[in-house]
Amino acid sequence: MILEIENLEAGYGRLRILQGVRLEVGAESVGLFGPNGAGKTTLINTILGINRPWKGSVRFDGREIGGLPTHEIARAGIALVPQERELFPGMSVADNLKLGAAYIPHAASIADRQLEMVLELFPILKERYAQLAGTMSGGQQRMVAIGRALMANPRLLILDEPSLGLQPSIVAEVFDRLAELKKSVSILVTEQNVRESLRAIDRGYVLENGAVAIEDSAEGLRTNPHVVKSYLGI
Amino acid sequence: MAAKQNGNKGKHMALKRRTAILAALAAAATVLILLWKPTVINNGLQQAGLYAAIAIPMGLVLGIVHIVNLAHGEFMMVAAYATYFACKALGMDPLFAVLPAAAVTALLGWVVFRLTIQRALKAPELNQLILTFGIAIALTQVVNILFTSQTYKIPLEYVSASIDIGENTFPVWSYVFVATAILYAVGLRLFLTRTTAGKAAVAVGQNPRGAAIVGIDVNRSYGLVFALALALVGAMGALFLTKSAIFPQVGSPYTMKSFCLVAMAGIGNIPGILGASVLLGLSEQLLRAFRETRAWADIVFFVLIIAVILGRSVSWRRKK
Repeated sequence: MILEIENLEAGYGRLRILQGVRLEVGAESVGLFGPNGAGKTTLINTILGINRPWKGSVRFDGREIGGLPTHEIARAGIALVPQERELFPGMSVADNLKLGAAYIPHAASIADRQLEMVLELFPILKERYAQLAGTMSGGQQRMVAIGRALMANPRLLILDEPSLGLQPSIVAEVFDRLAELKKSVSILVTEQNVRESLRAIDRGYVLENGAVAIEDSAEGLRTNPHVVKSYLGI
Repeated sequence: MAAKQNGNKGKHMALKRRTAILAALAAAATVLILLWKPTVINNGLQQAGLYAAIAIPMGLVLGIVHIVNLAHGEFMMVAAYATYFACKALGMDPLFAVLPAAAVTALLGWVVFRLTIQRALKAPELNQLILTFGIAIALTQVVNILFTSQTYKIPLEYVSASIDIGENTFPVWSYVFVATAILYAVGLRLFLTRTTAGKAAVAVGQNPRGAAIVGIDVNRSYGLVFALALALVGAMGALFLTKSAIFPQVGSPYTMKSFCLVAMAGIGNIPGILGASVLLGLSEQLLRAFRETRAWADIVFFVLIIAVILGRSVSWRRKK
């Protein structure tokens, strides 16, 4: 397993959001679903060290990373595409992408190759190479954020709501790209858009009230009555 | 839509016209002063260089670390004292102390950052101001206790170098400050746009969380920028000593004036600091040129900053 989370508790102030989460990601693509406020983003922020874990363990590649600062976790090989994108708005697309690799030890030496791959994956970024990231549309910024994460040559790519605010055609494109990517990198993705994302994942977790309520294969989730009723809206 | 576009175009034209009129007035005033009091331009530019070279590092810290360092001028004062005693002990010219002074102040800055400022990065702005203000008082008083309020100066012959043109004598040594200011502005621009460490610093300034996600050590980046800024102001401390006498409070007006210039230029606008410095330097020297107005020279920067803030808030309200 690349990522192993056990009995994880975390929250904000005195409010506990995660109530003992157990989750694993191997060489596969894993979905993380659940209603707003279930703790999906909190879980991701805790994996990345943006939030401190209160209790439990987060192991990456067999090494405990719970409590490490964010930049060290990133350097260990986890790349994040945050919900809010978190780009550098006053810098060009080129600089945003290059900074994705510059401080990651196993990415800096192959940055040119990664850049070529990212520009091939998102041709629009090649056209907008010199444009300031902050002046692009939400969908294009999302592509910059995904591209920047891929520049890090990650072992685990985490995407927090990659389809949020995107038009449906681009959502389909993003998930096609993810389906391609999962051959070479482990993926953990949270989504409101469960129907689309079930195409791109192997396995999924449903998080409810800060704990894992359901864990199943993509096929199993698609036929699970609770999932169908609550998330697929059939 | 079309009407609105025309309206915008009209506004744009009006703005252009107004800028052109202002530029023409400024040019006319400059020519008049040049004919009438030629020394004002010479002294004003040199003064502007001194202001800009001290203010640019403060602008760097404000633009990236987002901290107003109210101990900025005091760090320059400490560098000047260190230079003075090193030069006295070794019989050295302060010019040779520029790089060592930069290194010593950078180190001091790094330590001060790690021990104090880093802990206040997420604190409310007022707390940060109180912190750096406290550092300023502490530095001034430590120097005061160690070396008393007596003034120190190193007499140097080359400082009085001058050029005679017609009946006027123009001192020229302080153009070294102008050169330093330009060097700082150009060097920082190259550093921030061409080097990986510089780009990382800009990235941290624009989005610290985004920077951490791509593996940049945000606190280290802040510390490096702070230390770099103090290296620049430390080098200025050694240069300052060639020209001026030093005493414990010598740095504090430069803190205030640097803050005024950075505010005039706008956050993150380093070339703008050069322009603002020329305005401040010339205005001060112009008032100094007449006996009746001489006493007013030191408060001209208050007038400028009030005018700029008023102008900004008016144009902001109009935009709204």
